[in-house]
This record gives sequence, structure tokens and C-alpha cells, in this order.
Amino acid sequence: MRRSRWFLVVLALCATPAGAQQDAGPDPLTVVSWGGAYEAAQRAALFEPFTQATGTPLDIRSYDGSLEALRQRAKIEGWDVIDMLEDQAIAACDAGLLRPLEPAQIGGPAAMRDFMEGAFRGCSVAQNVFATVMAYDARAYPGVKPATVEDFFDLARFPGRRALPRSPDVVLEWALMAEGVPTAQVYDLLSTDRGLRLALRKLDTIRDEILWWEETAAPAEWLAEGRVAMAAGYNGRFFAAQQAGAPLSVIWDGRIIGVEVWAVAAASDAPEAALDFLRFASAPAPQAALAERIPYGPARRSALKRVGLHPEHGVPMRDHLPNAPQHGDRALVRDSDWYANTHALRTRRFETWLEGE
Amino acid sequence: MTHTTAPDRTRAAPPLMRAVVLTLMALVVGFAAALAAIGFVEGVSWLNHALLISPRARVQLEGNPGLVTAATVLVPTLGGLIVGVMLSRFSPEGRALGPPDVVRAVQLRAPLPSTRGGAVSSLAALVSLGFGASVGQYGPMVYLGAMIGGWVERLRLGVPNLPAIAVACGVAAAISTAFNAPIAGLVFAHEVILRHYSMQAFAPATVASATGYVVANVMFERPPLFLVDFGGVAHGYEFLLFALLGLASAGVALIFMRLVLASAVQAARLPLPPALRPALAGLAVGVTALALPDVLGIGSEALRFATIEGAFRPGELVVLVAAKIVLTALCVGFGFAGGVFSPALLIGILFGALSWSLLDTAGIADTSGVAVYAVCAMMAVTSPVIGAPLTTILIVFELTRNYDLTIAAMVAVVFSNLIAYRVFGRSIFDVQLARRGVDLSAGRDRARLEAMTVAEWMSTDFPSATAEMPADEAQRTGAASPYAEVFVTDAEGQLVGVLRAGRPGAGSAADAAESAPVTFHADTTIWQAMQELGSFIGDAVPVVSRDNGRLEGVISEAALIRAYLAAMQDLRGEENAPV
Repeated sequence: MRRSRWFLVVLALCATPAGAQQDAGPDPLTVVSWGGAYEAAQRAALFEPFTQATGTPLDIRSYDGSLEALRQRAKIEGWDVIDMLEDQAIAACDAGLLRPLEPAQIGGPAAMRDFMEGAFRGCSVAQNVFATVMAYDARAYPGVKPATVEDFFDLARFPGRRALPRSPDVVLEWALMAEGVPTAQVYDLLSTDRGLRLALRKLDTIRDEILWWEETAAPAEWLAEGRVAMAAGYNGRFFAAQQAGAPLSVIWDGRIIGVEVWAVAAASDAPEAALDFLRFASAPAPQAALAERIPYGPARRSALKRVGLHPEHGVPMRDHLPNAPQHGDRALVRDSDWYANTHALRTRRFETWLEGE
Repeated sequence: MTHTTAPDRTRAAPPLMRAVVLTLMALVVGFAAALAAIGFVEGVSWLNHALLISPRARVQLEGNPGLVTAATVLVPTLGGLIVGVMLSRFSPEGRALGPPDVVRAVQLRAPLPSTRGGAVSSLAALVSLGFGASVGQYGPMVYLGAMIGGWVERLRLGVPNLPAIAVACGVAAAISTAFNAPIAGLVFAHEVILRHYSMQAFAPATVASATGYVVANVMFERPPLFLVDFGGVAHGYEFLLFALLGLASAGVALIFMRLVLASAVQAARLPLPPALRPALAGLAVGVTALALPDVLGIGSEALRFATIEGAFRPGELVVLVAAKIVLTALCVGFGFAGGVFSPALLIGILFGALSWSLLDTAGIADTSGVAVYAVCAMMAVTSPVIGAPLTTILIVFELTRNYDLTIAAMVAVVFSNLIAYRVFGRSIFDVQLARRGVDLSAGRDRARLEAMTVAEWMSTDFPSATAEMPADEAQRTGAASPYAEVFVTDAEGQLVGVLRAGRPGAGSAADAAESAPVTFHADTTIWQAMQELGSFIGDAVPVVSRDNGRLEGVISEAALIRAYLAAMQDLRGEENAPV
């Protein structure tokens, strides 16, 4: 561990242009993230090491990941760096809410080859890969356990309340998967009016049992409290709850894999310092350090190879990453462009459906 | 011009050498055909995305409806224009090439149409499919595979029957790659293209088919084309329903095939140059798609929806089946480049979903769900169209890996084929070929004999006499020859009659000659000649020019029989060749 810390410092020094070294008491950089277990992991793996290495203090804020929050709060609160879902970043970039980002601002050609494919979008750089998964309260099902997406929609065999994100993300995909649509065709079918209709029809079958969440910490909490029997949420949150002793099990079948990115707000008053942070966060060592604290796969191949044990629990973290082979074949990689470009349509259809209650 | 033996064959290499050559050839052809097939599919999908044909591209421009509407109407129309110009300007054949051309070449031992024609046709198919025409992708892929196999003919490899085998290899690999179904690829090459099973062809076709599968699965990790979850047939009586569905599907297939043929005939009557015809069909597709976007392109989304209960209302299915049949007939008939295989799959599966929903609404009997009916009808409509019952059954098996589903589809396919074969013919390919004068309905031997002409086997060395020559002198000419007749011609060389040996007559040869009971032309086929020979008594039949009645040669009964035997020997040799 000490060696990697030392490595970090060297790396950070290299990555920081000499001119950016500031005198004591520089202005804090405002970094916006998601709160909860994710933010806690980021503090340990990224935020504190960054401040140690550069002397720049960070002002950490939380948001719900929405474009609305970005629109309303960024300017007032002086947001600099934002942790975003890739599709949201694409939409925000198109809307001019983010600063354009060139790959060369992050690293040289060798580093570029080390990143996962398509890591750079117009305004963002990929940082980690997360999965939205289902989990169930193990106390709720003493007999046969749910194991598939189909089971999530099967109230007859697996009764109980379901916690779902109150957004058209993820739920529509799962609804079609539960209709037997192979992952490769899910987005093709959701692109048609018929597909949306079918997905919402499937959601109708569990409508009365759904509890909608808007805070990413909610699903794990509700499961632990026994408020719901099954829930959809981010795999890292469920992992944290498991480590904290919650009796929940993850259903990896049908997991939807998404990319989390860093971006710089257009309203940022310290774009250079923000870029320093991006360069620091994009190095393999901090990426691996994050994955050791919360099971989100690093966006750099070399970082993936470094992922080892959880520093506190000693759990081998590679097994909990979304792309671990034992999780089965059925995984859907989010099409971020599609997500960004269909957000309005999906939201419209979803809200109409919600009102139909 | 006299043939005394069968047409020359390449001198055969030793058996071990031949086995090695065949295996290597199958590997190379299989690999190349598989790459071509994948490239084709990728190209179509890229075009579909770029040109706003695929729903996934269209939905992302949801905020810009004007652009989507314009693309819907204009892209297929423009595609038609490009295809029309390509085919009429740059293709020597002036039309798209497809499986019938492959069948013809293999069955008649003729070379495939020119590589240039094939290349233009393949490009035209890429444009047709990419721009959203309602045509199929497998026909062009089969042709691509065949064309690659056809190049082997140019190498002198010392293996008998090589051209046909190489073509079959290309076809097997194309189908194997396209469907991710190596067994179906192998069987398709035999059932549709070769039409016989010899170890010499079977082994290389297997190698090529497996190569295609490896390329698709291992090298490119292409996803399976079609997966259906199916728990099994719940009730025994449903097999009766599958059989009935097969019969009904035959009806759909018949309507589809008749319309495709009729539309081509109608297109030829239009006062519109051939180059502009596809654009008209494209416009029809585009306008229909404004109300019914499922008709655009290959329709893989609709194919999937058909297996989901309640995805379509019955009324929608009726409209969609009808629209897809009409538009495909229009597109194929009016000269878009593309096949009928995948449209038939789509029409069939929609028809199956329709049949199931009617059955379900009627509530007569419990069923095992829509998927099995959809798949049964999909194959039962497709199989008579392409004339390949075994292939379609195997495709179900390999795509779904579901035994129950395969047995159900088998029942439907067989009943459908039974009816369609009786009423229509073996397949739309065969009927198209028959309209071009290659009739395979009576078997390979007849087609082969129909492809051979008297000209190749006639003799120009025969006893002849002029009309004015005294009859007895003419008889003496005949006595010196092996023939029992002397052929009498006038000053222009036109046939006057035949003077039979040993019948001395008075006066001139013309007076003594009898009119010839049977005459052939140079282009009379060996098959026709054999038929007419039934009532002929004599030694040789005069062959006269169609234009001016001049005697061009004679063909003896013995030569005709030699020709017949040579053809039969060829076929038997091909069918029984070990390696």
C-alpha cells in the first residue's frame, strides 16, 4: 500500500504542470459526486490523495445525477468537476453545460490505448464501469431464491414489494428482457413504439408492488429495513450494504452495465485545476484504489489488473466487479448515445405511464 | 464437330492429392465466403443506421420528425434509383443475380455469370438492403459465396466436378455464417444447389460450412441470430394444429411466390425504363413505411416482436402480412437486388403470430404460447419458397437448439411443402429458372439433356446428293458410307429429301427421295431429339438451318445415344464420386 501511495505522489507531481503549483491556501475545487458509499470510497481513493499530492483542497458536493441539478446548481454553487453517467454527460455536453475535453488533455497516446474503447466523449473521460443489478432480501425468500430478470417480474412465485428507480432508465430494458428479448436486441426493440408499449405493459404487471426510489442509497437501505423484498440499484451500493451486514443477495442476471465519467462544468472558474484533478483521477493507481473500495470496474485496462483486496474487509474485489466472469452471460451494456438521445422520449412515455395509475 | 467421347475433363489427379486439394479449397472458399457474408451484413447494418432505416437510428432523431419523414420516403426511392442505374448500366446481365443463377450453373455445368455481373449485383444488393428496400439478404449472400467458389474453376486443380463442389462450398459457408447454422448450411448446399449427395461434394461442403461457423463464432463472436425460449409443446393435439398451420402457410407462400412472379411480368409491361423501376418500388416502400415503419428493410425487430404475446394486435398483423407480401413482390419484381428468403421468414412468423392470436381469441383449445406457432409458420412459409424443407427444419434446430420446437416446425414444414410442391413447384428459384428455359422439375438428368444441343454431336461428314443427280448414282454414293440414307439437297443447299438405301428409283435423286420424317435444328436439345426419335425409323436425322433450310449436318441415332450416355455417365460419376 505504501508503495502505491508513493507512486501516486510521483504520478500526481508529474501530471501537475509546474505553473499550477500554487501558494498556500489555494481556492478549493468543487467536486460533485453521488454521496453515500460511492463518495466514501472516492474520498479514500481519490479526494484525499489528490489534496495530499497537490495541496488543493476539495469541496465535495452531492447531487442526484440529473441534468436539472446541473442546470440549476452548477453556477450558483461553483461546480468544477462532476461525476456523471456517460449518457447524461453526452446530453449535457450537447446542451453546452460542460467544457469540451480533448483526450490529449488527459494523457499521451500510450495512456489512450490503455483506456477502454470509447472512453472519451466530447466533454468527458470514462472513470469506471458500474452495473445496475437486482438484489433481494434473503429473509423474504427462505425457499427458492429469485435468480433471473424474469423472477423480478414474477409476483406469483416471488411476492413482495419491488424498489425501482423512478426513471425510465434500466426498468424498460429489464421489462423487455423479461419478455424473452435477448440483450443484443433490447435497444433495437426499445427504439420502436411497439417495444416501449410492451415494456410498459410488462411494468404494469408489477405496478402495484413498486416503490420508486430517487436516492441511490435508498434501495439497499429499504432492503436492509425489510421495506421491499427486491430492489434495483447499483452493484457498489449493494456490496457496501452486504459488507455492513445487510442480508441481501445480488442477482447478476440481466445486469445493465454503464459507464461513469468525469466532466468539467462549463461554469467552472478553475478549469485548469479541474483538469489536474481529471488527470490525477484517470491514473491507473487511483482507479484501482477506488475499485478496491467499491466494486466498480476501472476504465483503464492496466488499473483492472491491479485491483486487489478491500482495504478493510480483505475481500478480493475482482470477484465483485460487474465484469467478473462468474456473474453469467446475460449483461447489457448501456448504449450511452441512445440513452442521451432518447431521454426525452422515454421520460415522456414513462411519466405518462406513471400518471396512468 | 464430331464427338466420339464425352466432353473433355481435366485429367484427374491421384485420389490422395484430390482429397488434399478439395479440403484446402473448402477451407479457403469457406473462409472467404464467411468473411464476405459478415462484411455484407455489417455493411447493410451500417447503411441502415446511417440512412435512418433502422428504428434505433430513427428514434434518436425523434425530436426532428421532418428529417425522419423525409428519410423514410426518400431513402428507399433514392436506393431504387441507384440500384436501377447500377444494374442497367454496369451489369452485363442487366439484372440482379441470385440463387437461381447458381442452381442453373451447377445443374447444367455451365459457368456462373460474369464476375463483373456478380460484383455489380452484390453491390446493388448492399444498396437495396441498406436503403431499406423490402428484400432479403440471404439470396445475395448465397450468390457472393457461390461467386467466390466459382473462381476456383479457373485454377486447374485436377479434380473432377470441382466447379460445382467449389460453388457449393461457398454457398454452404455463406448460409452457415449468416444463420450461425453450419448443419443447415451444409444441407442447403445439397438440397438447393447440388441436388445430390456424393461423398466428394459432401466432405468439402462440410469443411466449408464448419469454417464459416468458426469465422462467425470464434473470430467475430457474432451473436446468435434468433433465440427463442420455449418450454415444450404442452398438448399432443397441438401437432394437428401445426400440420393445419403448415397447410395454411402453404397458401401464404403460394400467394407470395405468385405475386413475386406476377410483379416481374407487370414491371416489364410498364412504360418505364428498367433503370427507373426500382425507384418506383422504393417510393411505395417509403410511403407505406410512414404509416407502417415495420416494412422498412429486413425487419428484425418485427421478427422478434412476433414471438412475444400481444406485441401485435390481430388487425395489425393482417395489415403487416399483406403489406410485406405486396411490397416484397414489388421490390423484387421491379428490380431491386435481393432475395425472398428473409422476407418469407418475416411474413411467415407474422402469419404464425396471427394464426395463434386467432386461435387464442377463439379459445377452442389451450396452446403452448405464440412462439412455437410463430416459428412453425415462419419455416412453413419459407420452406416452399426456397424449396428446402430439410434446411429450414435444421435452421430452427440450430438457431433455437430446441428439440420440441424443431419437431413442431418439422410437421408444419412438411405439410406446407407437400401442398406447395403440388400446386406451384419445387421453389420460386426453380419456377424462375423454368421461365428462363431451364426445367428442373423432371430431375437433373432431363435438365442436363435439355442443356445439350444436337449441334455438339452432329456430323458434317455424311453421304449427300444434289437434286439433279440420277437416283442410282446417288445410291452408289450412299453405299460407300456407313449410313443407310443419302441426303438430297438443292442448288442452295436446302434439304430436299432422304434417299433410303436399297430402294432404286427412276429419274433424279429429288424424284426418288422421300421427305425427311424428322428434322432437327442445330439448337434442338438432346432431350427433344430423344423424344422425337421415338417414332423414327432410320439411321440419321438431318439437321437443317432454322433460317434458310440448308442442311447443316446429320446426327445418327448412335451419336444421340452416345450423348445421352455421356450425360448420364457424368451425373452418375458426380453422384457416386468417392473423392
